[in-house]
Amino acid sequence: MVAGDQSDPADVLILGGGPAGYVCALRAAQNGRAVTLVERARVGGVCLNEGCIPSKHLAVFAAAKAGAERFGRAGMPAFAGEVDMAAFQLSRAAAVDVLVKGVAGLLAGAGVTVVQGSAWFVGRTRVCVAVGEESVRYFDFKDAVIATGSCAVPLPGLPFDGARVVEPSRALEWTSVPATLLVAGDDYISLELAVAYARLGSRVTLATANDRLLPDFDAEVSNAALRGARSAGVEVKVATDPVSIVGDAERVAVSAGRVPNLADLHLEVAGLAPGVAQLVVDDHLRVDRHVYAIGDVTGAPMLAHRAMAQGRVAGDILGGKQAAMDVHAVPRVVFAEPEIGAVGTSEAGATDAGVDVMVGRFPLGALGRAVIESSTSGFAKLVFAQESGVLLGAHLAGPRATDLVAEMALAIEMGATAEDLALTAHAHPTYAEQAMEASEVALGRPIHVRPPKR
Amino acid sequence: MPRFEFRLPDIGEGLAEAEVAKWLVAVGDRVNEDQPVVEMMTDKAMVELPAPGAGVLVEQLAAEGDVVKTGAVLYVLEADRPVGVSVAADEPAPAAAATPAQARTDAAGVLAPPAVRKLARELGVELASVKGSGPGGRISAEDVQRHAAAPAVAAAPALAGGRRERLRGVQKRMAETMALSARTIPHVTGFHEVEAGSLVELATRLRRKAEEAGRRFPFDTLLVRATALAIRQHPIFNSSLDEAAGEIVFHDDINIGIATATREGLIVPVVKQADALKLDALAAEVDRVATAARDGKAALADLQRGTLTISNTGAWRGGFGTSLIRPPEVALVAFGRVEEKAVVHNGEVVARPIIPMSVTFDHRVIDGEQGLTFAITLRGLIEDPWGLER
Repeated sequence: MVAGDQSDPADVLILGGGPAGYVCALRAAQNGRAVTLVERARVGGVCLNEGCIPSKHLAVFAAAKAGAERFGRAGMPAFAGEVDMAAFQLSRAAAVDVLVKGVAGLLAGAGVTVVQGSAWFVGRTRVCVAVGEESVRYFDFKDAVIATGSCAVPLPGLPFDGARVVEPSRALEWTSVPATLLVAGDDYISLELAVAYARLGSRVTLATANDRLLPDFDAEVSNAALRGARSAGVEVKVATDPVSIVGDAERVAVSAGRVPNLADLHLEVAGLAPGVAQLVVDDHLRVDRHVYAIGDVTGAPMLAHRAMAQGRVAGDILGGKQAAMDVHAVPRVVFAEPEIGAVGTSEAGATDAGVDVMVGRFPLGALGRAVIESSTSGFAKLVFAQESGVLLGAHLAGPRATDLVAEMALAIEMGATAEDLALTAHAHPTYAEQAMEASEVALGRPIHVRPPKR
Repeated sequence: MPRFEFRLPDIGEGLAEAEVAKWLVAVGDRVNEDQPVVEMMTDKAMVELPAPGAGVLVEQLAAEGDVVKTGAVLYVLEADRPVGVSVAADEPAPAAAATPAQARTDAAGVLAPPAVRKLARELGVELASVKGSGPGGRISAEDVQRHAAAPAVAAAPALAGGRRERLRGVQKRMAETMALSARTIPHVTGFHEVEAGSLVELATRLRRKAEEAGRRFPFDTLLVRATALAIRQHPIFNSSLDEAAGEIVFHDDINIGIATATREGLIVPVVKQADALKLDALAAEVDRVATAARDGKAALADLQRGTLTISNTGAWRGGFGTSLIRPPEVALVAFGRVEEKAVVHNGEVVARPIIPMSVTFDHRVIDGEQGLTFAITLRGLIEDPWGLER
């Protein structure tokens, strides 16, 4: 193909095929728009190819080993030998392939044109896409959506070298378990990596200059994460500069945050906020009349499910529907020891906002299911508005907390009260009961723990 | 001695709160079981709350004038014996009575499920301006639809400065009821001049007879009776409209409310089965409920289940006005002052005692002919009142 002034029209042009971009593409196509999607690597983005999916695969794999060991005293044969990481990586890659093909199939089925290449703006309504080594294509768009995602940044003084010092995504691809591993960071990514490799037999140190792990979670959850990581065999060092203790660790994984991929887009050419760290959008996800931004390029929280929610909303707006990004409750999940699921306001956050709260805490030690599984160290902590009883936040630590938080998110979106949760029958014996029990604690009439002193 | 926390019970119809009007027992004083401890003013009435057992009042948790939520501790009693736990103490306050809208701590601050937020966007409704009917002020799809259907309210004009008083109790209830009435009911009013000579004569005789027996006979008794007997012949006047079901509900009993001015405001005590009671009993009942209402002591049961209201403005000299029906009732009859007026009889202008009467009805339920025939029946019962005496 010849580079030049020839261009193709694009009704809707989406830059980036990650969870924001591909969801937006499917929804916009559902709404009757002709969609062209540009992706420089594989559809599914970081989430599917090197983030959420593979990291959870590793976490679940490691947790299965830990789970078997937990039943050792109940007669489960001892786990013998080392895990075969090479075999695991094959199975991980196969799972990713299944999902990537699934997304590609959905896009094809919806009539979305996928163009492989890197894109940048060359005009207010024109984008150039470098296809392969030498050819470029031009697209004149009616509406464009920026969904180019984010990338990991290194710690000052500890640059990525692609081999020993790596970003988290690379640490998911190792074909052997390092004998020693230093994980630098305080976020969920570092915590998950540290716990997974500790369970798989690595000697792991998790170090952060911060004075706590998961600093943006409720303080009690942070404490549970710290205790849990230690119980999984991770040496946790808070208030410690990771760079100072790199030493001779075989591998170093650094999670120091992510920044939006905007630098190569030449936003200034399109007259869009040049030089910004992230794109500021209104609740219609617009940065300009005909340019939308969704996913990690819009800043924190950089979470796939938020990106997908934005993708759906943008796809509806592109389809002429009355839609807006008004999700109140974006859950956050951590696949470590214990699992953590949090949504809504922390106790401190509510108090700082001047809201009187009532808090219901329920320890998993009082839950039959948790006793069976010897997983009694977690808890559910629910934060309600004192006056109305409306659920403001839920902070769960324990098995399946990452799934259970979905009920809490629905409860917040629906404006459910402590009574609503307490009066809903929850199946026995399941971890789900903790939501009902914690609500009854908040109401001062728990069944399975002693009532709080009035 | 057992300490008993007395919580404000739900004193009727899911009331969310009540105001402490007056403490009848001071801290440190003894009370007997069932002795009134405190007077509460609700949306509708003054209610006395009796002690659940004998003992000493050791703490009052609200001052006179405080508004207390249903289920909150009102006072503490050191009871002589353990007191049966009051209903309100172990049952949570009904969800509907929870609270006014409570802003969430997130940016949106409006309590509405996602699908309702979507509906609001589609209907162009600003959620912040919708009053939620659910617990905690939760906004439902119906709330949004109702808001969308309501005519847009013009921006409130700037208020002139001045003293402000919180709308509450009886007055707040009146504001809500009358706004609902004006908003939902297509009102039609017919005006009638009714000859009242015989009525006055009968009332005077019955009053004299009652007084000789040491009883009272309010004039309203005959108006209540006449209205109740007219309703018997026109049961549509004793109905309610169930809009949701698309049905008219015909009530079994004829319960006449009597609009009564009180110190707290307008309240409407109800005389039950006003067509069936013997006239003596009816007079006693009219006297009892009206007196209690004027004294601010009406029992809640006496303020409920009215099926038609009469308003007798005749106690004051004055003109003649229109009325608003009290939903879910479908009609209201107002009487003015009996005065001599010039009427033409057999070609002669003569002075006759006339009682002005207006019949206001809900045109969704009652048509013009039904309204007129009811008025004719009622007029007949007043002009020829001897049948009321039974």
